[in-house]
Amino acid sequence: MTTTAQPGGSFVDTDLSADLAAAALDLARKFHDGATLWVISPQWEPHAHHVAVEFVHPVIMGKRALPSVALVDPDPVAQARVASQPGDLLLAVASADEPAVVDAMRRAQAWGVLTLWIGSGPRPPAGAANHILWVDSDDPMVPATGTFVLMYHLLWELTHVCFEHPGLLKPAAGECTDEVCVTCSDEGRLAEVVLEPADATGQALVRTATGEEWADVTMIGPDLAPNDLVLIHAGAAITRLDAGQGVTR
Amino acid sequence: MTTHDSESTSFLYPFIESEETDAKSLLDDLAASARGKAAESAGLQRASLDEYDDALTAAGTGMAERFLRGGRLYTFGNGGSSTDAATLASLFSRPARGRPVAAWSLAADEAVVTALGNDVGFELIFKRQIIAHARDRDVAIALSTSGNSEDLMTAITEANQRGLLTIGFSGHDGGRMAVAEDLDFCFTVHSQSIHRIQESHAMLGYRLWSVTQQHMARPRNGVHTL
Repeated sequence: MTTTAQPGGSFVDTDLSADLAAAALDLARKFHDGATLWVISPQWEPHAHHVAVEFVHPVIMGKRALPSVALVDPDPVAQARVASQPGDLLLAVASADEPAVVDAMRRAQAWGVLTLWIGSGPRPPAGAANHILWVDSDDPMVPATGTFVLMYHLLWELTHVCFEHPGLLKPAAGECTDEVCVTCSDEGRLAEVVLEPADATGQALVRTATGEEWADVTMIGPDLAPNDLVLIHAGAAITRLDAGQGVTR
Repeated sequence: MTTHDSESTSFLYPFIESEETDAKSLLDDLAASARGKAAESAGLQRASLDEYDDALTAAGTGMAERFLRGGRLYTFGNGGSSTDAATLASLFSRPARGRPVAAWSLAADEAVVTALGNDVGFELIFKRQIIAHARDRDVAIALSTSGNSEDLMTAITEANQRGLLTIGFSGHDGGRMAVAEDLDFCFTVHSQSIHRIQESHAMLGYRLWSVTQQHMARPRNGVHTL
């Protein structure tokens, strides 16, 4: 008996359709502000290419071409790090245990990048990405049955619907847009080390969601290396995050 | 493709202007739209599998027999279909379960594709690779949502002349693929949406793989061939 795969469309229930809608509105808002969509899929690179071509060269005449690039180097984290700028988007098509994607998603906060994660099987922990668009199936063949294709097709279709509503492309009220917002205030911002501490000064160049800055790292020690993740408070690095340690989004 | 910003047509829609501030009704509409399109996708996948049940079994069986003789699979398409062709090739060559067989996408190597496109013309990027690689025990699968792409049609003709098993995935009314005598099997997904066609192509490809796996795991002449 041949195995019959469950149609991808049958997974799009009330919850997943709401997740797709919220993700599409965020995508449209970021594109509206000039974002580029970076796409990684270390296990299934063709999915990354399909997403990029979908946005760059729309199948429907008259829809805007939007900037999107598949990052398929052997080290997608390094590629995403150098490619992305604050305000950009990072979309992964990957299972929850894909190490490069787990790493990229936690670092994206320091890069100032909004994250989306499409996958199936066990879910990533809540907050692992800004938008988790998940197919709740343990069938390992899901990535080859058109289900992920459906997911990013829907994302593209809904995003373009949002462009017909220019009034809603501004940030929603209550979103963090200035320094008084608690979640991104100076209470402990995630930063990635760009340049290790320069000898006696105890200052290291770090990268945060708002750009690059020099931070006092004397509390953490001199062995800080590029790409280490630290928390910054009031201009000083107060904690170093170990590999695998989660970040609060 | 020409693009138009929504601004150029916005005068036609005075009520969806920039005054709109409450996103809730839009989000509700988007979610409903997603569910509607998803249901359409699922229905089309089921209908396509039903329509081609016998032909998919025959094609998958023919593929398995070629793989058992050392044959390999070439997949090809343009744009999004080239990525679906690559996904299909990797389903055969490194499946999450079952027996891997040799398969690759003819768009995967940018050196080869740009060399051929630049030197002999874009319509020959796949045909010239068929000439270089193909043996009579191999299989060629072409994916096109229109069924009309010239670079695919010339490659199919070449593959057929060289004795390959030739399979086409098409859409809309099937286009040139639907009437091509060079195709042993043509699976046309009857839809006007390129997105929904591609989603069904993936499901049809998955069924081909499933039939192939089943056939290759079967004992032959009392002896298990594995």
